[in-house]
Amino acid sequence: MPLSPITIKRFRRFRSIRRGWWSLLLLAAILVASLFAELWVSNRALFVRHNGQSSFPSYGSIIPGSSFGLDYAYETNYRDLKASFSNSGSGTVILPLIPWSPGESDFRKGLNHPSPPDWSNRHLLGTDPTGRDVFARMVYGFRNVIVFAIAYTALTFIVGIAIGCTMGYFGGKTDLIGLRLVEIWETIPFLYMVMISISLVPAETGTAWRILCLLVIMVLFDFTSKAMQMRAVTMREKSRDYVAAAQLIGARTPRMIFSHILPNTISVLVTYLPFSIAAGISSLTVLDFLNFGLPKPTPSWGELLEIGLDHKESWWIVTSAFGALVIVLLLVTFIGEAVREAFDPRRHTIYR
Amino acid sequence: MSSSPHHSSAFSRRDALRTSAAATAALLSGCSPARKSLDYPKTRIPLPEEAMAMFRRYPDFFEFSSPDRLPANLPWQNGQDVPELGDPEAKKGGTYFYYNPDFPRTLRFLGPDASGAFRSYILDSNALALAAQHPDNAQWYPQLATHWAFSPDGRTVYFKLDPDARFSDGVPVRADDYFFCFYFMRCDYTADLWYQDFYTTKYSKITKFDDLTIAITVPETKPDVLYRAISVRPVPVHFYRDLAEDWESHYQWQFEPTTGAYEVRPENVDKGRSVTLTKVPGWWAADKKHHRFRFNVDRISIRVVRDQGKAFELFRKGEIDVFNMRLADYWYRKLPDSDQRVTSGCIHKATFYNEIPRPTWAVLINRSRPLLDNKDIRQGIQFALNWDLAIAEMFKGDGERMQTCSDGYSMVSFPDIKARPFSIPEAEAAFARAGFSKRGPDGVLTNDKGQRLSFTLTTGYKPYTDLFVILKNEALKAGLGLNLEIIEMTAAWKKMDEKKHDLGFGAKNVSVEMYPRFWENFHSANAYKEDGSIKTDTNNETQTAIPALDALISAYDKAETMDEIVRLAREIVAILHDDAAFIPAFVQPYYRVAHWRWLRWPAGFNVRSSRDWEEFHVYWVDPAIKDETRRALDAGSAAFPPSVRTFEQFRLKPSPSS
Repeated sequence: MPLSPITIKRFRRFRSIRRGWWSLLLLAAILVASLFAELWVSNRALFVRHNGQSSFPSYGSIIPGSSFGLDYAYETNYRDLKASFSNSGSGTVILPLIPWSPGESDFRKGLNHPSPPDWSNRHLLGTDPTGRDVFARMVYGFRNVIVFAIAYTALTFIVGIAIGCTMGYFGGKTDLIGLRLVEIWETIPFLYMVMISISLVPAETGTAWRILCLLVIMVLFDFTSKAMQMRAVTMREKSRDYVAAAQLIGARTPRMIFSHILPNTISVLVTYLPFSIAAGISSLTVLDFLNFGLPKPTPSWGELLEIGLDHKESWWIVTSAFGALVIVLLLVTFIGEAVREAFDPRRHTIYR
Repeated sequence: MSSSPHHSSAFSRRDALRTSAAATAALLSGCSPARKSLDYPKTRIPLPEEAMAMFRRYPDFFEFSSPDRLPANLPWQNGQDVPELGDPEAKKGGTYFYYNPDFPRTLRFLGPDASGAFRSYILDSNALALAAQHPDNAQWYPQLATHWAFSPDGRTVYFKLDPDARFSDGVPVRADDYFFCFYFMRCDYTADLWYQDFYTTKYSKITKFDDLTIAITVPETKPDVLYRAISVRPVPVHFYRDLAEDWESHYQWQFEPTTGAYEVRPENVDKGRSVTLTKVPGWWAADKKHHRFRFNVDRISIRVVRDQGKAFELFRKGEIDVFNMRLADYWYRKLPDSDQRVTSGCIHKATFYNEIPRPTWAVLINRSRPLLDNKDIRQGIQFALNWDLAIAEMFKGDGERMQTCSDGYSMVSFPDIKARPFSIPEAEAAFARAGFSKRGPDGVLTNDKGQRLSFTLTTGYKPYTDLFVILKNEALKAGLGLNLEIIEMTAAWKKMDEKKHDLGFGAKNVSVEMYPRFWENFHSANAYKEDGSIKTDTNNETQTAIPALDALISAYDKAETMDEIVRLAREIVAILHDDAAFIPAFVQPYYRVAHWRWLRWPAGFNVRSSRDWEEFHVYWVDPAIKDETRRALDAGSAAFPPSVRTFEQFRLKPSPSS
């Protein structure tokens, strides 16, 4: 599909705003790195060569210690394996840069947790009170929160656009009733409602379902602003001449909405996208902090903040979590600013 | 020879262990100053007609006798030779400041919400009993009774009430108040099945010889018959004359007049914020031998601080006087010995090894759940939990493994039984016997039907999250999957009481008694109803229902000699060990506190069977030291001798682990 000249113009404009553009690249890089976290932050080796056989344990099923001639059936401890291989010279192990998984505790003798950052132990940002690597939890926590925030944003937009567009396009009673319902819905305090609703989810619900419930509940209580914006732009668009023209030549409702109204309104909503992602990140972090979010011991920034505030004397925990949160939110905000600037209609209109 | 210290009892069923004063002493008495005359006839309160009707209905239980029918030549004891408690140096007066994570939901002692953590302040460690057991040497000393004597068959205890004994509103304590106790616990208004049963089946008779002489009879001879007898507390007739259907709401915020040293006055209840207990003016027992150096402060101010971290900050500021340093994190990191407030001697640290039946910290396996009904799987789970590592990490070496479901009774011990240690081969062997021998892609064992060996561990004890994470990670090595469900405390206990958990973690408080109880926790009557459906809201969260065990427990409850009790208890515990539904967790054989230097204790810190620093009220506040400390802090010149002490005089040698 060829991009319309105006879209290309907007994109060029966006690229020309250096701060936003570099923020986007940086955030994308972090996102991609976190998606492949298993390759650089994990207790599973990247590559093992033993008895002439090669294996790549990073993904897939666990490889029991017995496969490498060890005397246990649970997952191989590759750090120990590397040490024993380097002693005996009977094989090769390549470990990731940070050889710790987020759920794993470091119980080697002589360490008192939380322990401060120490590169010789590969604890880049120290450990938490359970002896888990803070950096590993940050990386996997970021992956969780960003994936959650993207899903949250996508869902909020879909629901918001569908409802807002319906109200704006059909108008009349649909709009009147819908508007009243949204107004009522909007007065319900978001965070409280999410907390109350999530505590109603039966305790025996599995982790995946709990996360899904959290997502649905958050979307349910936060789609209204999108719906209202969508309603406004749809109404504005609907009154334009080209819409009347299309109606005159006999375009049906689905065609009107999907071919004419949506393409022309969505660009307005796109400017809200980064801020919505930022909102998703902060909401989930807040909920985790208050213990209403992801079930423990899922790595999460909110949990790190909570632990950090409980252990202020172990400064590296709270500093890491807080610093990371600030950086990511700042990046997202820079991107948002740039998008808004690039999509500013006054730049692309002849009506000055 | 050491005998078991015990002084409390049946009042408390089960309350989830809270951070602070979870004492379970049930004591009672009455009070007002040193007037020796008997003004009983003048203030006498007529018993309600409904109570009289109950007494008439059960003439064998409620006997109104006369002084001349009191057996002659009873061997009266008065306990006056028992050593005193507390320190003669103790200063009187001042206010003791502490906190509680919740505001009490009621001031009642019975009915909904009455068994919260606050109860120990207003009842368990406050009210006096007929007699009490010295927490150091288990000898009995007088409280509300001046004398007591046993009948030749050992089933009846006679008491002479102290004529001085008064309730906090000045009304004397009389025999009728003891009769009324039975009415109160058994009547339809207060209907609580557990108490109704207890006060119906655990006693067989109460006799009144005159207003100051009563006898209490139990159905069978027991080694601890006096202990049972003193569990009957005087319930003030005059206070409950409005007892009716609406009694729960009517008495919700009314403080029952107490025989103890502290009362709650309405003006000292700041709803949602704080409760202040004040010394009863002219407390009747203030000069009695065993009480004169205790109950030293004038006011006990308990404010509500919901967050432990915030409470700790308040403690550091000196707004509360003492802080429970049970968690290693607080003891070693948040207030290390090198902290400036400790080195400057402003805050003292103390560890006290006590000797009490241990709270039952444990993982309770629900035998009624799929797969968990298989004994091999339960035994495998026992071997798959790495408590040694978890305890070492969590308590930094200051905790011990609990060995049985009933540790800490000095007269009833189980030397042959040790908790199963972490052992991957043993766990794998046990799981293999149950058909789980193949590892799935995530390392969790599966059986031929494709079922995963994975269970949910439910708990409300958030401060122990680290411990659960360690257990989870280590269990995976043995092929056992654990999902952690760390939820709000009430919700967790509710789930376990409804028997909907797989594995549940928690602790129940255990009364300081001579020998353990098994019926509540392990009898099938508390697991299933007669129609075979699951019985909820009982203490049998393991759903243990073994016919042979039931028979043993019934025999145990009827046992009359200590030898028989020990023999049966050992058989019971051996069966429970084999059945493997109860996974003993840990024991902390001490409590430790940090306290401001103005809060003082006797030289040995506390008494042997104290559960916490407050329970026996032997502490005091020294106002001069408080002033001095405050001034020094303000001037920035605080430099006092530091004090970090460990009191090990009652420490038991750890049993050699096998």
